[in-house]
Parts: sequence; structure tokens; C-alpha cells
Amino acid sequence: MAEEFNTDSMLDMFLYESGQLLEKLEGIILEKQDADCFDDTDINEIFRVMHTIKGSSGVLMYENITKVTHKLEDVFYYLRESHPDDVPHMELVEKVLAVSDFVTGELDKLKSGDTPDGDEKQLVEELDEFLSRLKGEIKKQGIEMPQANRHVEPTQFYITPVAGDDSHFYRISIHYRSDTQMSNLRAYSATYALKEVAEDLLYTPDDILSNEASADVIVAEGFHMLLQTKSSKEEVISLIDSSEAEEINFDELTKEEYGSALGEFGREEAAPAAAPAAAAKDEAKETKPDKPKPGDYVVKTKEAGKGKTLAKNQPKQQSIISVNVEKMDSLMDLIGELVIAEAVVLQNPDLKVPGLELSNFQKASGQLSKITTELQEVIMSMRMMPLTNVFQKMRRIVFDVSRKLGKDIELEVIGENTEVDKNIIEHITDPLMHLVRNSVDHGIEENAEDRTAVGKPAKGKITLEAKNEGGKVYISVKDDGKGLNKDKLYQKALEKGVIENKPMSEFTDKEIFRFITLPGFSTKEEVTEYSGRGVGMDVVVKNIQTISGRLDITSVEFEGSEMTLVIPLTLAIINGIVVQVGNSPFVIETASIKEFVRVGEDSLIHEPSGEEYIVLRGECYPFIRLNEKYDLPDSVDKIEEGIIVVLEHEGSQVCVLIDKLLQEQEIVVKPIPSYVRKVKGLSGCTQLGDGSIALILDIAGLLMHDGERR
Amino acid sequence: MAEELLKKEETDETEELLEEDTQKGMFMTFQTGKEFFGISISYVNEIIAMQPIAAIPEVDDYIKGLINLRGKIIPVIDVRVRFKLEPCEYTDRTCIIVIDVKSTMIGLIVERLADVDTIAEDSIVPPPSLGRKEHEHNKYVYGLARTGDTVTLLLDPEKLIKQDDIAAAMEDIRKEEQS
Repeated sequence: MAEEFNTDSMLDMFLYESGQLLEKLEGIILEKQDADCFDDTDINEIFRVMHTIKGSSGVLMYENITKVTHKLEDVFYYLRESHPDDVPHMELVEKVLAVSDFVTGELDKLKSGDTPDGDEKQLVEELDEFLSRLKGEIKKQGIEMPQANRHVEPTQFYITPVAGDDSHFYRISIHYRSDTQMSNLRAYSATYALKEVAEDLLYTPDDILSNEASADVIVAEGFHMLLQTKSSKEEVISLIDSSEAEEINFDELTKEEYGSALGEFGREEAAPAAAPAAAAKDEAKETKPDKPKPGDYVVKTKEAGKGKTLAKNQPKQQSIISVNVEKMDSLMDLIGELVIAEAVVLQNPDLKVPGLELSNFQKASGQLSKITTELQEVIMSMRMMPLTNVFQKMRRIVFDVSRKLGKDIELEVIGENTEVDKNIIEHITDPLMHLVRNSVDHGIEENAEDRTAVGKPAKGKITLEAKNEGGKVYISVKDDGKGLNKDKLYQKALEKGVIENKPMSEFTDKEIFRFITLPGFSTKEEVTEYSGRGVGMDVVVKNIQTISGRLDITSVEFEGSEMTLVIPLTLAIINGIVVQVGNSPFVIETASIKEFVRVGEDSLIHEPSGEEYIVLRGECYPFIRLNEKYDLPDSVDKIEEGIIVVLEHEGSQVCVLIDKLLQEQEIVVKPIPSYVRKVKGLSGCTQLGDGSIALILDIAGLLMHDGERR
Repeated sequence: MAEELLKKEETDETEELLEEDTQKGMFMTFQTGKEFFGISISYVNEIIAMQPIAAIPEVDDYIKGLINLRGKIIPVIDVRVRFKLEPCEYTDRTCIIVIDVKSTMIGLIVERLADVDTIAEDSIVPPPSLGRKEHEHNKYVYGLARTGDTVTLLLDPEKLIKQDDIAAAMEDIRKEEQS
């Protein structure tokens, strides 16, 4: 495992980090989607995100990602520097989301081991067009603007990189021929090439990209650079494009000389922030810029490696480290073992010798138990994650779908900090997405007039809420739309033949609403891009059931509907009752147990076919003898001697005969190894306190099996 | 960082090579009934004493159940039953060889361990096929080797744990994922 991790760690890091950044990006965008514009903090943040992704994708040579992010970076650079007034905010939001989607798509390709080959051209063109339009509008107002991305954040204060012993220092001066066109761009390409190897790079004139006039200065006075690098002279020279250069002066400096040379380049001026603003003002007045002031800012040595980009991010993500899930799992396994080993030591039979003085031992062991319990709690809490990210995706969906459908919808999010086990989060994202999409598409009325006609505000509202109650998490999607029409549902169910001509009065509201979770059931007349094909709700329910959750539906016609997912806090630990049949222990989830009873032979009904039923308080339940079903020897056969457990799942019940109850405890669920074929009625296995293994009964499986047999 | 990684990879590779070299031709041999069997040592993870086994219902009889290997739950199969021999009582000489086949961990219950032997490749002969074709044995014994006075039957663990079992398991998983 370790090797795998190392080989791909660059890529892993890239994927992980970019994923995080994109999520952050979407967060910002969607938060501000309804505002008129982004504020400075947001613009800076988006700029930084694009910059980082561009940098790291560049290192890994994913050109299309680099290009797209670079373009968007340009746009935001422009926004940041020029503060244009009338930015078409909605269009900007769409552009950012398009880029985010593109990069996410490419990252997904990488994740599945493909090469990211998405075509970036169209997107780049669109961005180009957008940017030039932005600039064009500004130009009309007669304000000059910086031209392109300087790759530098002007407000940063410079800290000289620590020079290693093997660092060399050079002063490089390039004089271009007097007829050289755009010498500033040539100079820029030289600095760009050197950045690859530079530990530190200063140059003057410093505003080569933003100021076209600098070209004249460069031609007249030459372009001067100070470079600190580990590369040799030859390597550096080979990097500089000398095609148009008349003369290149190349001096190697000592560290001391370099230090004093820094002064010439204006390093000691620690107030660079004012410079760009001042420059902009100068340009606006159409005055020739002054002689370029010595470098107000420097090119940071970035892109030298992933490590550095990471280090740059550290201050923001200091408190979070990412850990491979496998490592977490093995840590959890080990802690489980530790607890068992502890029990073995503390209850060792050797300690039971009479007359032993154990008071010190008892004290020490008390301390040990405390620590192990705490350890267990900590590891469990490490698996918990807030729902924030999932909810963010939902925001995006509401945004996209509502815009496409032309509905005006507001999304309210409550309780996004509710924490849920990581595995569960993976399972609920898709179902939740479906529910949200349904609400937007079907729930909210097509026309605002329909809403105002029944006295509702024109703007639709969807509420996404998560809360933690009694060991379960409730996630609800509520809309104030048209609600479900019971008659329509009933008619549809009749047509589909899922109900055998029973009158509508025989069904409760809940039962009628539950029809929509049947496969192929859609009351929407036409199929849209988003929903209406009738695949969906049944899949939602199925997915939720695999994590032993359920879907509750309530709805009032014309007022709205609410879909609530009720899911367990964690999959990994369930509260179970350990029972014994024959020599084998089994675990039954406490939540699905209705009651334990002892009954006599007289409650048992035998059918001629061999089926058996149990009558309890006048109700008849199917009956399963676990010992017969699973062929377990040495177990109780007489019904009076054993115990009947009444189990309930999704409204249907079954009675199971067991030998005896052992204990109730929290158990850690583990899958049965895949080598062993899946056994119906077993959902997993677990370790008991003494290290032995118990199988976990799967009530749904038991019921299904029983149904099939009949 | 990248250089470091590269270096690390290299050393890993050489280590692996070395390991493979020293393990080459070495076989873990065990006795079942009168016969000796051998498994290439590269498959063997560890050997543990007999443990309480949790039986699983509704599976093939040679799958004895699950054991708990330091928190990891792995299935164990009884080699005698797998060979269609009469099962024998487990004694304190009985032990479990934990093997790792294509990253599936499985325990093999064997009557008694014999030794770790080096068997030269040229002393391995394919099992005589005449008249034995219909035998189950042919499937997972891929060679015979003479060591001293005894003949060791060399086992192919991949076939021993029966390919179609794994295939079926994978199939099941796939189905589950789809649904």
C-alpha cells in the first residue's frame, strides 16, 4: 500500500488539493450568485484558486487545465486591478462555473486513470471574448487598464528566499536591438523562462507587462535582472531567448555583492502597494511614465515543485490534514484489537489467584481503560464529516436547474454543519441530488403567476435542512411548490396496476405518497432533461435503504412537499443485541427489534406445506427457525425453551427463534470477506468483546428470503 | 520532493527484487494424511495457531468460516475437505497458513507443518496426467518434486482457492454495485 501511495502521491496531492480548491471556489460563487458583484476578498480568493491550480497543473503538464485556469485568472486579475463598474455578474458567475466544471471533469478523468483530453479551446475563446468585452466597455469610459496578468500579487511584501550554499548569483543585462518590437514581451519571456530555475528573481523595469511604454525603456536602457539560482551559468544562458538581443551581460556575483545589488533593484522599499495605483493614475493622465522605478515587486519563485505550492497554502488549511481512508480503517481495527487485548490482560485468570495484592494494578488498569475508551471515541469522531460539501453541491444544482428552467428559486440551507459518517455522505449525495432536482423541476410551479394566484410569493423557496436527533440524521428537502396530488397518484397507480383496484380510501396519505417511489412511476407528463422518466425515486429509496435509512414523504397540495431522509449517524457502529443460536453468536440491530417474547407450542400454526406461523395477540406473523435455516447444530428446537424475537423492517414483521440472549453492545460492522459468497440474511460480521466473530442478521434479507420461499 | 520520490521508488524496487530472489524456489511444505504438499513461500503471509472459527451458513463445506486476524476478518478453508478427504480432528499441531492470493487473504487449515524447503526448478516435474484427468487433483497440483525420500505435491494457491469462487464473488459484488 505504501508504495502505491508514494508513486502517485504527486497526482494524488494535485487531485485532492484542486478538488478542495474547486469546492471552495463554488462555495464563494454560489454564495454571491445573488449579489451584484464580487467583493475584493472574493476576487482575490478566486484569483488565488485559479493561480494555484494553474501552477500545479502546469507542473504535471496538464496543458488544457493550465490554459483554462490561466484565462480565468486573467479575467480576475483584470477585475482586481481595474475594478470595472458594470461587470455582467451573472455571466461572470456562469463563466467561473463553466471553468470549474471543466476542471472538475478533467480531474475526474485523471481519477479514473484516463488522460485529461478535454478540449479547452472553446472555453478559452469564450473567456477571451468576455475579457475583451469587459475591457472594451471600460475603454469607452476612457480609463486605461493594465493589460494582462502580471503573475504577481503586488501587495505582497518580499522575503528573500534563503540562499543555499550551492546557490549562484547572477546579474544579467539584456540589451535588445533598437528596432526590436515589443521588447517588453521578450523580456517577460526571459523572466518566465528563468522562473523555472530561479530561487529568487528581480528585474527592472518591473512593469514590463502592464506598461507598454516599458518597451521603450528596455530598448533604451536594457533589461536588467538579478537572479539567485542553483543552476549553472550555462543552464541559465540556454534558457534565455537571445534571438533579438544585441548584447547579454552575464556577471556572477558573490552573495555579498548580490545583497548590495538588491538595493539597486529597490528591494528595501517595503511599500510597493501604492505603485500599481500610482502607475494607473499616470497612465490615465496620458503622461509618459516616469523612468521605471526600480522593481517594486518580484516574481515569486513558484512552480519549482508541488511542495512549495503546498507550503503556500498551509496557513489557510493548517488545521486539516488529509489521511488515506485505508490508514484510518486500519487504525480503527487496531484500536478495536487494543480494547480486546486490554480485556484479556485485565481479566486474566492469573490475576484471580486468591490472596494477591492488586491495588496498584487496579489503579493502573483503571487509567488504561480510560485511555482506550477515549481513543475509541476519538477515532470514531475522526470519521465524522460535516454535510457542508454535500449541501454546497445542492446549491449548485438549484442554481443550474432553476436557471435552465427559468424559475426563480431561493434556497435556504439549515444545519449544514451537521456531522455524518464519511461512508454515509458518499451514499446520500446522489439521492439528495435527485430529491433537490425533483423539487426544483416538479415541486415549484412552472409560472410565477400560478404561485401568486394561490397567494404565495412569486419566488419559489426550497429549504434544505439537516438535523441530528436521537442517533439519526434527518435531512429534508422542502419546497413550497404545488405539492403532490393524491388523486393523480392514485389514478396512476391504478393504471400501472400496482394496486388491485382497491378504493382510494383504503390507503393512508403516506401510502399514496409512497407510490412515487415505485419503479417506473412518474406523474410528470413530459420528460425533461432533469426528471420525469420515472427512474429515480425508486433508486433513491434503494440507495437509502442500503445504508439502512428511509425516506419519509409529506405533502399538502398547493402548499408544497417535504422529503425527509432519515439515516443512521454512522454505518460503522450499530447498536446491537447479541443472541445465540446453537454455538454461533448473531447480532441483531437493536432498532429493528420490536419485542422479545416466550410463547408456547399453542401459538404455533403449522401449515401442511411445512410453513409455520406464530400468533401473537391475535396477529399472525411468519416464523423463521434460524437453526433450521442455517443448519446450526446443538440448538433449541422446542419453542418454549427458546426466545422469539419479533423483528420489523419497513412495516413488515417476522418472528425468529433463537436460543438465548447474550448481551447488548455497540458493535463495529465489518463486511464479510468477498471470497465467501453472499449469504442471504447476513449483512456483515463483527468482533465481540472476547475477540470471537459474530454474524450480523440482515432483517431485510431475511424477509426477502422468506418471501421468495413462499 | 519529486527526486525523493523517485529515489524511494527505486529502492523499493530493488528491495522487491531481492526479496523475490531469496524466496525463489522456496516452498512451505505441510503434511496432510501421508502426503506432503508445498506452496510457494511468496504467497505465504504468516502462520498462526488454530483459532476459534465462526461458521458461516450456506457456503461450501470446505469453507470453515471466519477468523479474526488482529482485527482483520478472513475466511479459512480446510485443505483436507478441499481435497475431498475425510476431515480430521483439529489438534494442537493443526495450524493455519495465511496466504495472500491476488490481495485476497485466506487461511488454510493444515494438519501439520513440515518444513520450508528449497526445491530446484529442474527437479519439478508435471504431474502424470495419464488416467487422472477426471481427478479434482489435477486442477491445483501443478508439479511434483522429490525431496529426500518424499514426494511433495506443489500446489497452485490460485487454483486451490478455486478461481470460480473468486470470479463468482466478484460477480456478486459487481451485481450489488449495479443495484
